[in-house]
Amino acid sequence: MLIEIKNMTKDYSLGNDIVVPALKGINLAIDKNEYVAIMGPSGSGKSTLMNILGCLDTPTSGHYYFNGTDVSAFDDDELSTMRNREIGFIFQNFNLLPRLNALQNVELPLVYAGVAPAERHDRAIKALERVQLAHRMDHKPSELSGGQRQRVAVARALVTNPGILLADEPTGALDSKTGEEMMRLFHDLHSEGNTIIVITHEQDIANYANRNIFIKDGMISSDTINPNPTIAK
Amino acid sequence: MQFSENITLAVRALADHKMRSFLTMLGIIFGVASVIAMLSIGEGAKREAIAKYQDLGVNNIIIREKNLSDAELEEVRARFSPGLSLNDAAVIMDVVPGVDKVAGQAELSAEVKYTDKTVKSTVIGVTADFLPMMNLKVDKGEVITQRQYDERLKVCVIGAGVANSLFQSENPLGQMVKIEDQWLEVVGVLQSKTLFTETVGELAARDMNTDVYIPLTTFLNRFKPTNTLTSQIQQITVQMDGSGKLVESSKLIDEILKRHHWKQEDYNIVIPYELLKQEEKERQIFNLLLGAIAAISLVVGGIGIMNIMLATVTERTREIGIRRAIGARKADIMSQFVTEAVVISIVGGLIGVILGLTLSLVVSSFTDVSTYIRLYSIVVAFTFSVVVGISFGWLPAKNAANLKPVDSIRYE
Repeated sequence: MLIEIKNMTKDYSLGNDIVVPALKGINLAIDKNEYVAIMGPSGSGKSTLMNILGCLDTPTSGHYYFNGTDVSAFDDDELSTMRNREIGFIFQNFNLLPRLNALQNVELPLVYAGVAPAERHDRAIKALERVQLAHRMDHKPSELSGGQRQRVAVARALVTNPGILLADEPTGALDSKTGEEMMRLFHDLHSEGNTIIVITHEQDIANYANRNIFIKDGMISSDTINPNPTIAK
Repeated sequence: MQFSENITLAVRALADHKMRSFLTMLGIIFGVASVIAMLSIGEGAKREAIAKYQDLGVNNIIIREKNLSDAELEEVRARFSPGLSLNDAAVIMDVVPGVDKVAGQAELSAEVKYTDKTVKSTVIGVTADFLPMMNLKVDKGEVITQRQYDERLKVCVIGAGVANSLFQSENPLGQMVKIEDQWLEVVGVLQSKTLFTETVGELAARDMNTDVYIPLTTFLNRFKPTNTLTSQIQQITVQMDGSGKLVESSKLIDEILKRHHWKQEDYNIVIPYELLKQEEKERQIFNLLLGAIAAISLVVGGIGIMNIMLATVTERTREIGIRRAIGARKADIMSQFVTEAVVISIVGGLIGVILGLTLSLVVSSFTDVSTYIRLYSIVVAFTFSVVVGISFGWLPAKNAANLKPVDSIRYE
């Protein structure tokens, strides 16, 4: 198992001893090279789950094993290293640094990984080639279209060869045609052996994945295999 | 993340907001510049003072006749004080321990004439010891010699200013000049002296370049004072052996003179070295004050950095969130922001050093305030600016590093 979550809860304290439970006992296992969609209405706890899966946050109780290591006990530095090495984030609003060009944005995770400049450069170009954007690598995000920006974000996620790609509403800011292109890219990345977790509230997007997990009121309400995933054109 | 990456990152971040970075730096620039300028002015004044007192001899005790009105003079004489005399000089030499040399000087304000030219001058009768004692050196010719003194020769050594006014390009040596009704042969011309404009203790400021020195014996023999009550000599210069007992010796001299002058205090005793020390002490306080004011402006500059950086951190919350999400540790964010503060203060410090050097140059060339830049003042100002940058960059950087990635990544 790549990811194993056991009896995980997450509470938010609002002060005055008011505690709001966001996750109430999640058990989940995700294998290598799975393509999973996590769905749920807003307030269901799916964002909280994503934050914990992405090592941005830690659970209140329970365990999160990544490749057999208990991440829930990690301190801030160890979580940073985990994010750097094992998590490739793809955000709804891309989250590129506006003052850096595409290449520099893609290089950034490698900077924090301590990779030497020359190697960094090569790997970033390779990642950009993978998303067919090498020809725009000198452009700043503001000079790129939405779809291109999201592809730069995918390249940035891929460049460290992470254990999972974690996409949060990856098509939320894209029109339907560009959105479909994005899902095509995800499909290809999956067939190349990547593990992909997509957080979405759109059934259409979830249909591309092989497995659909529904979260409701902080609990998994259903976990099903999608026998006929949509194939993006 | 390496240090060099941080520098590049910081320089880029600052270059992205040139105006804001410059304004942030301004405080540091002026702070460093004022520290350097203030210290250079202080140091310049100190050097000027040292030079001034060295002219008077740091081992010397100077006893000078008080400037008395005619009425006061009559009063003093009526109380039996004979005024300063060669006898006083001889007694000091005999009685006071640690005395190297004692020289008496008689003075007279007179016009010095050569052909059709005239210059106002102070004619000073001196012993052979005097000129070396005062570090006065000849440019041409010789100083007053023991032989000239003993034989009461009608010779004189003239100051550079006198030589200039009377002889211009002519060689003054061997020429005869007329003072009152006496003809004197010029045997030496002194090197030019920088004049000091401030009064030293009870010694009035004057231009030593307009002095004319003649043997004291000649002076006493040839020039009769118009006022019969005038003392024999006007000044006694005592050179001590350098054992540092200047104050004690001066007290002893005072005792001796009081007795010889029947308790009439018609003289002043000046110890140039003591005045130097005293002035130094006052100057130190003054310099400390100048430095403190300059340092405060540096600290204010630092607060400026902190202020801007705190605003910047809020503005860049999203950026921090993104960096954290892709693997930046707290320490990375921390060092990124501290580096920015340090780069601001280093660049500002360098500009400030240049501005400070320029300022002190401008001050010394356009006013009569002299400045002197010592390396330490540059080092101190620059180091202080970097320290200020680090200390005031610390809090904003810590705030940045402590932002929670979960919250900051979604910050709008």
